[in-house]
Amino acid sequence: MDVERYADAAAQALGLPLAPEHRPGVVRYLQMVAQMAPRVMDFSLSPAVESGNAFRPLGPEDLSSPDGDGTQGAGS
Amino acid sequence: MSAVVQVRDSLARIAATDGQVNAFTAVLAERALARAEQLDREGRGLPLAGLPFAVKNLFDVQGLPTVAGSKIERDAAPALRDAPLVQRLEAAGGVLVGALNMDEYAYGFTTENTHYGPTRNPHDLSRLSGGSSGGSAAAVAAGQVPLTLGSDTNGSIRVPSSLCGVFGLKPTFGRLPRTGTYPFVASLDHLGPFARNVKDLAQAYDLMQGPLAEDAACAQRPVEATVPVLERGPDGLRIGVLGGWFQSQTLPPALTAVNRVAQALGTSRLVNWPEVDRARTAAFIITSAEGGALHLPDLRTRAQEFEPLSRDRFIAGALLPAAWVVQAQRLRRWFAEQVAASFRGVDVLLAPATPCTALPIGTEWLEIDGQRLNARASMGLLTQPISCIGLPVAVAPVWGCDPAAPHLPLGVQIIAAPWREDLCLRVARHLEAQGVASAPVAILHAAHPHQATQVPQVLPSA
Repeated sequence: MDVERYADAAAQALGLPLAPEHRPGVVRYLQMVAQMAPRVMDFSLSPAVESGNAFRPLGPEDLSSPDGDGTQGAGS
Repeated sequence: MSAVVQVRDSLARIAATDGQVNAFTAVLAERALARAEQLDREGRGLPLAGLPFAVKNLFDVQGLPTVAGSKIERDAAPALRDAPLVQRLEAAGGVLVGALNMDEYAYGFTTENTHYGPTRNPHDLSRLSGGSSGGSAAAVAAGQVPLTLGSDTNGSIRVPSSLCGVFGLKPTFGRLPRTGTYPFVASLDHLGPFARNVKDLAQAYDLMQGPLAEDAACAQRPVEATVPVLERGPDGLRIGVLGGWFQSQTLPPALTAVNRVAQALGTSRLVNWPEVDRARTAAFIITSAEGGALHLPDLRTRAQEFEPLSRDRFIAGALLPAAWVVQAQRLRRWFAEQVAASFRGVDVLLAPATPCTALPIGTEWLEIDGQRLNARASMGLLTQPISCIGLPVAVAPVWGCDPAAPHLPLGVQIIAAPWREDLCLRVARHLEAQGVASAPVAILHAAHPHQATQVPQVLPSA
């Protein structure tokens, strides 16, 4: 993987400008993760193995109170 | 003791010591005293009886912006109400006295926060408190409050518990509602308490349990109280020590801590989980990707305002290929199945919480198992594979394991199968009763007048 080219292309695709002062650190970190990633990607898993994330369907009773500030006051 | 007296004592200790420790980012003196006076008038008989507590500043506190360790969120609208866990503790007679320092957006293990300054280890002010809930652990260790709340995505309750020498509990993933807290990695975020003794830890945990329908991750289970079983001890429990990764990715003092606990519990049984390093890598990838994606809008427009220690990691995380993340989530599921099978033959497992005692603030590199590693990331080597699959863990602090730093603690993780926090806490309580684990208040002298002026801003009543 050419990490530098990948970083520039992915950043462009996401509309995420890489400032010159940030780019070296971003590339360094991407290189580190890219070196680790085969530990995950090379591990053979049966197609039957599902995601660790499970989804819970929602009904109206699961929603926060209508007068509230949503489920997250923080960051909203 | 009246609630007002407890709160005044807490506020006085904060004023005297926080110039040195820097655990608090907001002290709510007016609100806390008003609440304490109300409790003394009307709240007799409530279980927490005026106990002061504080929360990591990613919890919503009515009237304050939820800064989550950031500069960016200072501009956010003030929270309209307290987070549900704060509400539950106050309904039980607790008194919120302030908000605590953390790594920006919880992405770190050291609380070397550039915007708010580092939180220092109360047992050695030149050293790290750990993170990302560093303020939560340090405030308890410094004797500022007897109870705090924090969050743990990859180790952020367990790492600072270990380095500051306090008891901590990371409950099962989904046990406590996360509503009203600033998220980091939705797949992995947990909330939990810190305390100086196991009874306070268990009581706070019990009081915070219970379903919350609108919460995205809460498992909607009924309360399963742990205080009534706390004194049952370890009799009848099958206890093992985690080997492999959990012994190779440590330095000798951490193994000493685990051996001391294992000896006290009468076990020498070794248990090995498969592919722990892959599980840790999966957690690393999921964290990077979800954390980066969450902050993408701000990374596009105001990257300069992020914490310099984590900004580049957030940006890089946003760029990770989707296939890595999907495979990491599937590997996580596979690993959870393997570990679940291991709990057919054992009830409780032990492992170090950190590879070493608290490092000096600013340490960049650490050598473990013959490898030169990033010191900050290495603090989570032993916690990350466990939170990745959501197991409950209590941390018990053990002292005097490091001949080079005999004044510093090291935490031992007490791990159980999902929803068995009771077993973690029973074992932690036994170790405390036997004198194997303890959380003494750090000896801190009253601040120099110059330092006293650096006590965080005292905010008006929320």
